Amino acid sequence: MTVLEDKLLAELKSLKVESTATIDKLSKDLKRQMKIMARSDKRQQKEYDELQTKLQEVEELSSEVEITQREVVFTMGAIGESRSKETGNHVKRVAEYSFLLAKFYGLPIKDCLLLKDASPMHDIGKVAIPDAILNKPGRFDEAERKIMDTHAQLGYDILSTSDRPLMKAASIVAYQHHEKYNGKGYPNKLSGENIHIYGRVTALADVFDALGSDRCYKSAWDDEKIFKLLKEERGEHFDPNLIDIFFDNLDEFLEIRDRLQDKF
Amino acid sequence: MENLSIEETKYTPKISMNAATGVIEMTGKSYPENTFEFYAPVMSWLDEYFSEKAADITVVNMEIIYFNSSSSKLFFDFFDVLDEAKDDNKIEVNWIYDEDNESAEEAGEDFIEDFENLTIKLVVKS
Repeated sequence: MTVLEDKLLAELKSLKVESTATIDKLSKDLKRQMKIMARSDKRQQKEYDELQTKLQEVEELSSEVEITQREVVFTMGAIGESRSKETGNHVKRVAEYSFLLAKFYGLPIKDCLLLKDASPMHDIGKVAIPDAILNKPGRFDEAERKIMDTHAQLGYDILSTSDRPLMKAASIVAYQHHEKYNGKGYPNKLSGENIHIYGRVTALADVFDALGSDRCYKSAWDDEKIFKLLKEERGEHFDPNLIDIFFDNLDEFLEIRDRLQDKF
Repeated sequence: MENLSIEETKYTPKISMNAATGVIEMTGKSYPENTFEFYAPVMSWLDEYFSEKAADITVVNMEIIYFNSSSSKLFFDFFDVLDEAKDDNKIEVNWIYDEDNESAEEAGEDFIEDFENLTIKLVVKS
């Protein structure tokens, strides 16, 4: 063997050692990578499962909160109505009428639903009105009328302490449902569009329903008389647009009245 | 040589490496966006530490409660450096985890399996 061949063999030998070391390192790295990936896959699966479970819990909880809130609000409205010996169905009908009016008026569906939930609380202020006045048959004298009219302000005072959207909407409804389009309502003699749409809608829904129901101070009116009054009050008591909407879609309002009629 | 100290962030652990005492600590979570970039100073500190005069005994306390897969890879690289240095240095590793942290426990077992000649102790916190 020549010196050259010796050198070549030595180089080959060291190359073999080096390549074995490199292969060892690479295969070790590869094994590690596989292990890391397997661990990571397992963990990701667990994490995602946990996330889904937690998310479901949150969703259930938030729907629970929403339902509870709605039930409490509805019950509050019913309390207000029961104080004046009216039936629970009055608030249900007002809610449905308000929703329809708001929808046809063009409010976003979110606001229509909010108003539907909030409108049953329009008379909550009546809880603070003495029974003797609240349930008096026949007309109020001036002093009694003044006390009775405070229920709008009282309702607002009760509800406006909350920052929740539903309670805020309800406070507007309670405050403004006796305002009139022509500025002759109470408590603030607001007029036209200075009255919040929630107030204008609930005013019409409430009066339409009250006229068609028996109350301690009056019997139910027939439809002809009700429609005549609503038309007369177009632009006076009520927002003219809402009166138009009401008559354009009368069938739907009457369907609600039939479906949710009072049972004795 | 200087000590290395890195504050904890939302994605990265608190790290302290003390050349004089030989105590190296990592505590917290490890899921940065660029893991190898983040740990580059750690790795170069470690190289320098062992190439200069290391402490008589080097104690590594690692308590990583959450880590991504790049971090796992990085920890293997980290232990590679320790593994190479172990013949000339006395090194102890404590891999610390909560008893209900299955991922951390399994990672610790993987390290022991891969580095059988390195002293790695699993320390369970209850």
